[in-house]
Amino acid sequence: MSEQSMDEKVERATNSKNVSLPMSRVKLIMKSSPDVSCINQDALFLTTKATELFVQHLALSSYTNGSGKEKNTLSYSDLANTAEETETFQFLTDILPKKILARDYLKSLEAREDEEEDN
Amino acid sequence: MASSSGNDDDLTIPRAAINKMIKETLPNVRVANDARELVVNCCTEFIHLISSEANEICNKSEKKTISPEHVINALESLGFASYITEVKDVLQECKTVALKRRKASSRLENLGIPEEELLRQQQELFAKARQQQAELAQQEWLQMQQAAQQAQLAAASASAAQQAGSSQDEDEEDDM
Repeated sequence: MSEQSMDEKVERATNSKNVSLPMSRVKLIMKSSPDVSCINQDALFLTTKATELFVQHLALSSYTNGSGKEKNTLSYSDLANTAEETETFQFLTDILPKKILARDYLKSLEAREDEEEDN
Repeated sequence: MASSSGNDDDLTIPRAAINKMIKETLPNVRVANDARELVVNCCTEFIHLISSEANEICNKSEKKTISPEHVINALESLGFASYITEVKDVLQECKTVALKRRKASSRLENLGIPEEELLRQQQELFAKARQQQAELAQQEWLQMQQAAQQAQLAAASASAAQQAGSSQDEDEEDDM
């Protein structure tokens, strides 16, 4: 396992002289976070690279754990499920609610209304 | 890519870049469009997460600028420690490449002359050298010509002198 990752590392080091994601855009996004002021250039680089790894990690995890694997597809629900089940990805659950059927939503709404009435 | 809205929250990584990364990570896998859109948004969320955490760490350290160290600590505390080694390696590699490039160009830079100027000077020198060579060649040729002419003249006068000499002898005999 460690041998494989070593090979991967060497391959990646020779392939990527830089990052695939635009650092300027990453910087803009970072600055739109509240209170973030100055970012060192190397820190920006690290963040950009980490984001790349994140995308790869998320895609790979979702695909491997998801049901789409048999059909060779990656779906929205694969991603949503992985986010819920993986601790490190749980910060994503805010922005990707599992899609639910309209009728289920209505049911849950009704259930809530009933609760309130009881109170 | 022109940003259509001025709203900061709509900032995302360009879709094309994400698509490319997904393709490289999962070749031959069909990815639904809404899934791609989701990944784009997850990226933004991730960046916010890291920057907020790094910013907090930075504030606690009483420094004003978020440093690489802060980012690494943020990754660690958020559960992304597995990214740290690779991320550090790539940064190191980039620095090494940049350093080598700087060393190579600093030898030129030490003259205090920018590269374009040096190129221009080089062209000038070449042109000068060519010209000098051409002039030299021409001179040599002229010299050769002159030498040849002189040789001809010399030969001509020598034979003329011989002829004159022989006819003079005849004259002297007649006079006696």
